[in-house]
Amino acid sequence: MWLPSLASVWSESAWLRAWRSGIGWRGLVIGALAVAGLWAAVVLDLDPRDLVPGPGGLAQGKEFLSRAFKPALTYEADFVPEGTQPLPFKVLKAVRTTVIFAAAAISLAVLGGLILGSLASTAWWFEDPAGGSTRLRRVFLRSVAPVVYGGTRVLISLMRSVHELLWAVLFLAAFGLSNFAAVIAIAIPYTGTLAKVFAEILDESPREAAAALRAAGASPAQVFLFGLLPQALPDISAYAFYRFECALRSSAVLGFFGYPTLGYYLAASFENLHFGEVWTYLYALIALVLVVDWWSGALRRRFVA
Amino acid sequence: MSRQVEIRELYRQRPRSRFLRWSSAALAVLAIASWFSGELGTDDLFSARRLANLERFVGELVPYPLQGEAFDAGVAFRWARDLMAEKGWAAAGKTLALSVAAIVLAAFGALVLAPAAARTFASPEPYLPGPRPPGPLRRTSWKAVVWGGRALLILFRSMPEYVLAFLLLAMLGPTAWPVVLALAIHNSGILGKLTAEIVENLDPKPMAALRGLGARRPQIVVFGLYPLVFPRFLLFFFYRWETCVREATVLGMLGVVSLGYWIVDARARNHYDEMFALILVGAAIVVLGDLVSILTRELVRRFG
Repeated sequence: MWLPSLASVWSESAWLRAWRSGIGWRGLVIGALAVAGLWAAVVLDLDPRDLVPGPGGLAQGKEFLSRAFKPALTYEADFVPEGTQPLPFKVLKAVRTTVIFAAAAISLAVLGGLILGSLASTAWWFEDPAGGSTRLRRVFLRSVAPVVYGGTRVLISLMRSVHELLWAVLFLAAFGLSNFAAVIAIAIPYTGTLAKVFAEILDESPREAAAALRAAGASPAQVFLFGLLPQALPDISAYAFYRFECALRSSAVLGFFGYPTLGYYLAASFENLHFGEVWTYLYALIALVLVVDWWSGALRRRFVA
Repeated sequence: MSRQVEIRELYRQRPRSRFLRWSSAALAVLAIASWFSGELGTDDLFSARRLANLERFVGELVPYPLQGEAFDAGVAFRWARDLMAEKGWAAAGKTLALSVAAIVLAAFGALVLAPAAARTFASPEPYLPGPRPPGPLRRTSWKAVVWGGRALLILFRSMPEYVLAFLLLAMLGPTAWPVVLALAIHNSGILGKLTAEIVENLDPKPMAALRGLGARRPQIVVFGLYPLVFPRFLLFFFYRWETCVREATVLGMLGVVSLGYWIVDARARNHYDEMFALILVGAAIVVLGDLVSILTRELVRRFG
């Protein structure tokens, strides 16, 4: 008796009307995210009262923020050894090292990304319309190609899934402090990301030229080099530029692990409570990122619709 | 027109840009110069001392009970199970929770800031002309709002999460807040910029209709912009959540008990087997997050 009445209540309910009127799935998603957020807050003991800093933290925070408009131009330490280079030079040197780490890492990553990305792109090895002209090629396409393709995909995802700082920690343990190892630590996950995106760009670029070349008898390598790659190149370089910006941030943060980039000096000044110097390094980092951000943004606006 | 001329014409019309060429060339020169700068010590990495260090290190990656022993899957399994029970599962859960809390906060921040940074909405007469053309004061003040909003978003996203968390930790003390806030601030900068771009590219007619009915700005935002932006916003939301998971693993190194904390802890104690295993757990979470994100984004694309 009560079952049908329950059904009628449900069918009359505002919930169902809301569901029918089309806001249903949005409401569902927002509700799910709210539940997820609450779960996270509970797991992490996020208490809004902890957002109010203690008296010590408050004083330090005030002092830190008050120096935002007065970044240091000279050292704040009471004793500066004779012959220490002036602070602006030291900042510029840190900026230089940060750029060097990032540029070296991105150059390795672009090379690796191009190789792995083209192996992970379906555009050229699965698209032989004749299914391979010779027996050997047919066997190759059915056996070797899928293995190489799948293997590359797995490799890319492995490289990407370990953060550059974790690679850096691994290499620190394996080699000790070595700048070259830091560059490789950045380059590995960046290679994975670039390879993934390059493969997507290659797969999405128009295929007409490639098909024409193929019909004219070009080999798969020729089709790739002259039919696919030239069209994808603008997008590829624009994206590489964007990743260079990210590499600058990563390279600066590596300093926290003892490498001579911006993060190293920033952390050292902060721990000595030299907040003016901290702001100098922060502004240097922000300026560096902004320049490249503007540059890569201008490139993307022109090419990537 | 002969075929030759036609081909030459096509060649001349191919898409190209001097700006892109010069930029790529500049980046290439910078990359080559960086290798010759002498800062990187490329030959030093493979010195005999470092290679010996590496060999010892690789030996210590093997789970401790198996070092110098024959491989035994049972022993390895029990070792891994104990490690997971002791810290792995809890740390993995906290890592996920950090990323979820951060991205939800970042979404709030982005949705509040984005309308202010969108030129189409933050204008003296949004979407419909007013009775009189706006005066110079109103025009400049709305321009200031747009530039202020954009400047804030750029500032937010130009700060690396790690640096933000490091600075916040000193002020807020060792709770999860510094990490959550650092991730939320950086990502609200990115999400806010992307959302502002979506808002600027929206078809203006629904908002014009709302304004014509007398809706005020907050009402246009809530009933016009948010519903229209929602599907594409979700795509970006999950895309940024992926990176949040990656970063949350690492930010634990600053002292919050996520995976990163136990990873540097294991390194400090020279327990490289444990460190390596926990890094693999982190990688597994990232892969899992990627899968969830890809799946949801596909759903949104299909039904959104």
